Amino acid sequence: MEERDISQEETKPSPAENIVQLGQTNVPQLSSDSTIHCLTIVGQIEGHIQLPPQNKTTKYEHIIPQIVAIEQNPNIEGLLVVLNTVGGDVEAGLAIAEMLASMSKPTVSIVLGGGHSIGVPIAVSCDYSFIAETATMTIHPIRLTGLVIGVPQTFEYLDKMQERVVNFVVKHSNISEEKFKELMFSKGNLTRDIGTNVVGTDAVKYGLIDEVGGLSQAMRKLRELIDHSHQQGAMLQ
Amino acid sequence: MILHTIVPEFLVFQTNEAEYKKQRTVQYNGVTLLVQQTETNEYEIVRVLSSDPQHYLTYEPGIKLHATSLQFMV
Repeated sequence: MEERDISQEETKPSPAENIVQLGQTNVPQLSSDSTIHCLTIVGQIEGHIQLPPQNKTTKYEHIIPQIVAIEQNPNIEGLLVVLNTVGGDVEAGLAIAEMLASMSKPTVSIVLGGGHSIGVPIAVSCDYSFIAETATMTIHPIRLTGLVIGVPQTFEYLDKMQERVVNFVVKHSNISEEKFKELMFSKGNLTRDIGTNVVGTDAVKYGLIDEVGGLSQAMRKLRELIDHSHQQGAMLQ
Repeated sequence: MILHTIVPEFLVFQTNEAEYKKQRTVQYNGVTLLVQQTETNEYEIVRVLSSDPQHYLTYEPGIKLHATSLQFMV
């Protein structure tokens, strides 16, 4: 009985055998590689001390390898940097800003919401910078929130650190050193603090940021810079 | 109690060590993600750490992933 059953099964072709190909409908796929990458600088810029997990932070050990990867990947043509940060660690912020400034690929930044404190050098480090009309940037002197030892040493240290920030911003934007320092040390603008809170159009007026605009303007500019770099590349060859 | 201090809040009220360990950086299908362990021992995406905008269409915060499919970094 059993043997006969098996032989019957063998002669009968299984339904799957008649099907030549098990097909699936082809869904048109978008190219998985984006030619424009986007870097978001949000929350606090984290330095040498790891902040508790409830804080939203931008860690330079995450950002810097991404910048290196973007610079190396031949499929990536440009980088958009989106900022909404309260600031944070000076050294980490300057590290990110220097990495962006030394990139060979076109970079455009947009400040949305806020690009405060050490976010200022990051915003100006890109080839072209935008600020949303409602976005603000706080410019203020460097502070140490920590334990301070000697007054003259602390002053020298902070002064040198501040010079680095001022020099970077002046070098990478159209603002003059005098104007930037005037905004930095101005009184009566911030509650119990010195400095200035610069809103959208004012940031452009002072030469800190290139243009007021949003996503579409930023993308158009980035495309323009990419086209320009392609043309330059073609001329060199 | 009122504390008047220039010492930052996170140094005065230090977070429990265990809090830091809840969140981890992982690789999943070649995408770096920041995940948090849930009570059911799954991992929930907290943040996508990628510069590729396409990745944000596939991975969103809140998506739960099984531990076996994740590659833990450090």
